Amino acid sequence: MDFVGQQPNNSEQEIWMEHEATQLEKQHVHSVYESTASYFNDLQSKAWPRVRQFLLEQKPGSLIADIGCGTGKYLAVNSQVYNLGCDYCGPLVEISKKKDCEVLVCDNLNLPFRDQCFNTIISIGVIHHFSTKQRRIKAIKEMARVLMPGGQMMIYVWAMEQKNRRFEKQDVFVPWNRALCSRPFSESNQTGDKNELNAKNQDIHLQQFTGSECAYAVNPKLDFDSKHSHSTDHCLPGTCCMKMSEEENRFYRALGRSFRLWFFSRSLDESALRKQPEKVKQEKNIGRWTNSAISIQPSRHCSLDLGHPGPLLKERSLDDDEVFLESVSLGKAQWMAASNATRDLSGEQDIQSKHEETSSLSGLMEDKDCSCTCKKDEGDKSPASKLFKRTSTTDSTDSILDAAVTVGDQTTGTLDTKAFMRYYHVFREGELCCLVEENVHELQILSSCYDHGNWCIIAEKLGKSLQTEQHKNFKVA
Amino acid sequence: MKLLTHNLLTSHVRGLRPGGGYPLGIQATEVKLSPVDFNAQFVARMVPKVQWAALLQAAQSLGHGSDLPPEPAPGYESDEDFLRRLHHVLLEVEVVEGILRCPDSGHEFPITKGIPNMLLAEEET
Repeated sequence: MDFVGQQPNNSEQEIWMEHEATQLEKQHVHSVYESTASYFNDLQSKAWPRVRQFLLEQKPGSLIADIGCGTGKYLAVNSQVYNLGCDYCGPLVEISKKKDCEVLVCDNLNLPFRDQCFNTIISIGVIHHFSTKQRRIKAIKEMARVLMPGGQMMIYVWAMEQKNRRFEKQDVFVPWNRALCSRPFSESNQTGDKNELNAKNQDIHLQQFTGSECAYAVNPKLDFDSKHSHSTDHCLPGTCCMKMSEEENRFYRALGRSFRLWFFSRSLDESALRKQPEKVKQEKNIGRWTNSAISIQPSRHCSLDLGHPGPLLKERSLDDDEVFLESVSLGKAQWMAASNATRDLSGEQDIQSKHEETSSLSGLMEDKDCSCTCKKDEGDKSPASKLFKRTSTTDSTDSILDAAVTVGDQTTGTLDTKAFMRYYHVFREGELCCLVEENVHELQILSSCYDHGNWCIIAEKLGKSLQTEQHKNFKVA
Repeated sequence: MKLLTHNLLTSHVRGLRPGGGYPLGIQATEVKLSPVDFNAQFVARMVPKVQWAALLQAAQSLGHGSDLPPEPAPGYESDEDFLRRLHHVLLEVEVVEGILRCPDSGHEFPITKGIPNMLLAEEET
């Protein structure tokens, strides 16, 4: 389908958008997790206390699903219940399996479970990876479908509002920071590796924090240091990552604040696309229009969703749950070099012409304030700024926010690079509540709060049990 | 994949009639037995949550059909022999390699290294 020069009708647009959303997630969620899975292990995964608490409160004998379980850090919290984990990413699920968890591979948008079979569901750091509002709704509805009436669901998503600042836009790319990961979790490396692993982690740690406080995902093929070019995505982490921290610092300094080209402030959704039907093209590479919608946010974790990065950052007095590092001032000039790393997001180089027209749109397209009446935890009724004071005591969210850049202009640099940029739709205060209240009526929100850079809700499934019906209907052929 | 998990799984291929994707047929090429600590209360709590007929069928396909009665008998909560057998079938029998087959469509979902892969291609959903 090629929409250039014609107005697409709604259903064509919907199909196209759904396809684009799928492609975006494939490239900037699924393949990133797949490629980086081998770097994850227990050292870096830490369960959020509130989630642990929620799990431990569930009745013994409950059936609990962790939808988007990753490496399974929540699957062994409560041994009195049956924990079933699932994730889209096969390599991550395999890591879970090695820990003897009961896991499977599936799609949150199409859960392979019968209706109303779980007592409890958790979705921690998952929904924010869906690139359209419709998909986020569908994911929540699917989880509600498989939840028993009276059962509870806990959802955690990244908050737009971080400790003292906020993401400038809601749709962001976060680079993956390979240097903060430990060595690959592989069969051949398992024995006798631990000492070496710890030593190298220490080294990485020390190098990491000289010079700059920020560490970011580095594309091994960045042009400004040819020594570190690699032909594969999985570079050897030991030596490579240590050398990379200098590169990473430069990369980061290069992401200039002045390089924010705001095209859209909305996520990939209908209204955004309708504004520019003549610019819309069907492409295999999702870069074209999605660039304009998304900003890049650097991160210090290889996966923020996994929580604390582990021994690498012990010496810093960082709160366990802090997600971001101190800010670094960044200069415009170096952005051009750094933009190489994000080339894979662009696909084409002629985005300049869009800039003038689209930058004027950004002001028009802020999300409407939600007018729903979702409740918050008692004590959280104060404005968001007060909430922030209740969480972490460190000042480290600023870096990512400072360095927020919209991927808009990749005119220079045509290196074939993959910076493992992960797509996130970060949620505004109240947005998750509203999303559920307005679209998922089978769920009733019991509580909501802000926790370590995340918006969290607990909701209960309404309705009557199907149980007696099920016993009648599901006969074995 | 344990049989308790299997009991929750359904095929979600597009166009199935309601219930047409359940229960999935199991064709196992490798099965293992993993000891799990017996907890009578836990197992008893599972009884109302499982689809008994589907469990029976699954157990039969793995050669454990005779371990279970056609229906849980009243008073099962205190029948330790029954609970132990149920415990074994639900939690200790694991399919390591095999296939899960959608009853209506015949679509096959693979089980590899104990992990079922329930993904469908974009056009199948």
